[in-house]
Amino acid sequence: MANVIHAENLSLSYDQGKKKIIQNAKFTVKRGEFVFITGRSGSGKSTLLKSFYGNLKPTEGSLMVGGLEMTTIPRRKLQELRTHIGIIFQDYKLINEWNVAKNVVLPLMIAGFSLDVQKTQAQRLLKHVKLSNYANRFPLELSGGEQQRVGVARALAKNPLMILADEPTGNLDDYSSSVIWDLLENACLQLETTVLVVTHKIPTVFSLPYRHFTIEDGGVYEIH
Amino acid sequence: MRYIKEHIMFILPMMAILLGIEFYLVFDRMTSSYESALRDGYSMLAITQKEMKTEDFKKLNSEISQSTRIDKSEIVKQISSNQSQKDTEDIIKALPYFYTLKLSTYVDIDSIESIKKSLLKSNDIKRVETFGDSYYSKYRLFSFIKFTLKIFIFFMVLVSLFLVIKQMEVWGYKHRQRIQVMEIFGAPLMLRSGVLFKVALTDAFTATLFIVIFFAYLRFLWAGSSGVNIMIEQKDLLFQFNDVVILLTSAILIVIISVYSVVLGIKESEE
Ligand SMILES: Nc1ncnc2c1ncn2[C@@H]1O[C@H](COP(=O)(O)OP(=O)(O)OP(=O)(O)O)[C@@H](O)[C@H]1O
Ligand SMILES: [Mg+2]
Repeated sequence: MANVIHAENLSLSYDQGKKKIIQNAKFTVKRGEFVFITGRSGSGKSTLLKSFYGNLKPTEGSLMVGGLEMTTIPRRKLQELRTHIGIIFQDYKLINEWNVAKNVVLPLMIAGFSLDVQKTQAQRLLKHVKLSNYANRFPLELSGGEQQRVGVARALAKNPLMILADEPTGNLDDYSSSVIWDLLENACLQLETTVLVVTHKIPTVFSLPYRHFTIEDGGVYEIH
Repeated sequence: MRYIKEHIMFILPMMAILLGIEFYLVFDRMTSSYESALRDGYSMLAITQKEMKTEDFKKLNSEISQSTRIDKSEIVKQISSNQSQKDTEDIIKALPYFYTLKLSTYVDIDSIESIKKSLLKSNDIKRVETFGDSYYSKYRLFSFIKFTLKIFIFFMVLVSLFLVIKQMEVWGYKHRQRIQVMEIFGAPLMLRSGVLFKVALTDAFTATLFIVIFFAYLRFLWAGSSGVNIMIEQKDLLFQFNDVVILLTSAILIVIISVYSVVLGIKESEE
């Protein structure tokens, strides 16, 4: 199967290389795999995800995402690549001046789907995350957990090739969490979506085979 | 209230820019019409030994557009009313030819001197009188007014442009989060800047409309009844249809430049 992510000697840092977060990491993620990433707070989990969607360029080494070298990727290619990635942010990153329905279909809007398609898809997606009645509300009128589910729905909107999820259940109770895990499992199983999930707690009930990476002292290790 | 204020903060400097541009256009038209009046009113006097045609003068200097011979008998009549017919004819024969020369463009004193020199190269031309002084002082005053007005308009436009960009930055700040999220999801520049364009273009059209209405009013209603002669005579110069096109194009250009400068200035990440 094709490599979706391949890191070789990868180092990530902030402040022009002064603040080193990840060093000399080497790992590969293949198409359709489900990967959990754990690590202590501040270990660099979100930082690692950022590098996958081109928000942070590697300081050293090589990072290939979808066959593209992220150290040298041109703007246009990155823009194109991003339309195939669904991201769930730790801090949700919803657009506050848009209602929930519009937020959810942002990837469809970017892909140029008609308003009709956007409308029906918004309904379908919101039903998946149990927020059918929230279409016309605004993000700041929602609880943290509700905002998080809007974020999940948005990431799933365009059936992306890869989902990057940063603590997608961080604010949710067990029931809502299981809803999210089901959605991510289904995407992986049915659409062969590659899913990388940062989490503090790997769910105890999980039906798919998965891999588990952990970040410690700047290194990325796989736990077997 | 804040909404209205935000728009006024954009529309006002935009209007100032368009006002500057329109003033420049009007001023340019007025001055070129004044310039041609000044030019038409100016002539040199050339005294020659034999008869010359306009072509002959043009060959000597291409700036000369027209020559008119002054009828010698007219001159003689005035100075020799009590001479005999024969004497008068003799005088006329002895007299050189007089020509007034007109120029094709509005030129400065140095050019006038050089025109004079090139005319005098010909052996047939005995004297050239330029009447340069009064012409030159008018020209100097005129150039000075023109220069200061252009500088003033230039600064007015420049300062307003800064204000427009400043307001654009306020909007950019307001839309920053949205633009960043859209960029992370791979939205192209056009889509990211869409909202800014919508607001800015609406305001730009509003500003253009105000200016057009104002100048149309000046031309069609005010100028005719202003009692100011020069305004009544030249009211066509106050506003022309072409101006609408120029103003609208300028407004749209300013919007495009300032929106892009703001959107491209928003970095998606803090690094
Ligand atoms: N933009 C930034 N500039 C500088 N330092 C940063 C920046 N973002 C994060 N850091 C630092 O990098 C380190 C790793 O941050 P990161 O957000 O990747 O941690 P994390 O593993 O996601 O933690 P958490 O589980 O708390 O979300 C932290 O020490 C953090 O302070
Ligand atoms: Mg994090």
